[in-house]
Amino acid sequence: MIKLTQIRKSFGRNEVLKGIDLTVEKGEVVAILGPSGSGKTTLLRCINYLEKPNEGRIVIDDFSVQCRRPDKKAIHTLRQKTAMVFQQYNLFKHKTALENVMEGLFVVKKISKDEARIRSIELLEKVGLGNKLDSYPSELSGGQQQRVGIARALALNPEVILFDEPTSALDPELVGEVLAVIRKIAKEGITMIIVTHEMGFAQDVASHVVFMDEGVIVEQGKPNELFTSPKEERTKQFLKRITPEAAYSI
Amino acid sequence: MGEPFDFHYLLDYLVKLVPTLQMTLLIVACSIVIGLGIGLVVALPQLYKIPVLRRLSQVYLSFFRGTPILIQLFLFYYGLPEILKLVYVDVSKVPALYFVILTYALHSGAYLSEMIRAAVGAVDRGQVEAAYAVGMTGFQAFTRIVLPQATAISLPVFSNLVIANLKDTSLAFSLGIMELTGKSQTLAVMSRHFVETYISLAIIYFVISYGLEKLFHLVERKLLRHERQIVSDEKPSRYRKWKQRRFALSPGFGRGGQENEA
Repeated sequence: MIKLTQIRKSFGRNEVLKGIDLTVEKGEVVAILGPSGSGKTTLLRCINYLEKPNEGRIVIDDFSVQCRRPDKKAIHTLRQKTAMVFQQYNLFKHKTALENVMEGLFVVKKISKDEARIRSIELLEKVGLGNKLDSYPSELSGGQQQRVGIARALALNPEVILFDEPTSALDPELVGEVLAVIRKIAKEGITMIIVTHEMGFAQDVASHVVFMDEGVIVEQGKPNELFTSPKEERTKQFLKRITPEAAYSI
Repeated sequence: MGEPFDFHYLLDYLVKLVPTLQMTLLIVACSIVIGLGIGLVVALPQLYKIPVLRRLSQVYLSFFRGTPILIQLFLFYYGLPEILKLVYVDVSKVPALYFVILTYALHSGAYLSEMIRAAVGAVDRGQVEAAYAVGMTGFQAFTRIVLPQATAISLPVFSNLVIANLKDTSLAFSLGIMELTGKSQTLAVMSRHFVETYISLAIIYFVISYGLEKLFHLVERKLLRHERQIVSDEKPSRYRKWKQRRFALSPGFGRGGQENEA
């Protein structure tokens, strides 16, 4: 279980997160939606301390971090319990697909190289890249790179995987393959928090949907309820703008 | 002026100069190795924006980049002993070579630190974040992710700096060091065959520089094998291109030739 309490974050005078409370049960898939600038990516980055929250508390199972004064060890542990998939893939460019996945296993988890290799090959086969083990990121398409990124995150066996707009940088024709992989691992019961703009995907895969705006959680609930009968006015407006029927009617 | 040109002297001096190459290469190797250490130490405060040290490293940089190396050699050779005398350290017995290596190391260090700063900055920040997200410590992220890529990026600049350093060592003879240029001066004055001496001197410098350039290019290719578009694997050599063109033109070899015979 992941529990965030009163997470606050400011960049200079600009308060981006204004006290976020969020609980994610084990095995849940949470989709975070909201207009750009609403703080959803910042919230995600706060969970593994790529962004340092000013205040609040992060609890993962029985491990907790007080954000105001964290020690280095706590941050390190927190990062080992989480994994992240980035919008820009952020693969290690000088390493092959296989080495990208292995890296965390034998550097951080101290697993022997042979064992790490076997596990990594398994994972790359799972994301459909069994034939690209020795390719460098520059030789892979965006969709393939992102699938390596997902395999790299899975390798660490984290409590939760954080997806930061995993399909936003992709060509439309490549979005499908990445979403299919995420869908597949969602079925295996891994806890996931996904920031996304793919409404259909969120409705389909998520077990819980959170709508954020201007640094606060406006509304949250089951995807069916939130998409069909939102309670808050801001949620209604957002969904109206983003659903295809409204977007294409002249 | 000197004696009339004699080709034999050229070969003779080439052979006589080669042993002093050892001294030149010693100065280059020592000053580059020490310079790399200095460069890293100077680059760090700039990369991590450490307040006071950053200013100091900037002063160091602008001094060594803003004054000629010849002046720096004189300043260190004549000035440093005077300063050390004030704290009762006697360095009058220390050979000039040490001063030369120190000066060249500090001089190269300035340029090398700029190289390091630029190269580290060129590795994109996202990969460092990914390394953190995987659970690496700052040190692991730097040595395993940033450093290998920064090394590859900096290699062309590094190659330039080493070659520049090699040629700069020709000034060391002004402090009486018997390296390539120093030796050639003596030879030239003794025999009065100036042109031959300097031609053989130029040949040696050129061969070494050219060799270094090729060597670095090879290493760069190896380090950048993940970037297919920058360093291509299959670049036909100039000789092969020339051969192809020749065969294509000459009758009897290419397809055209056979047609003629038929």
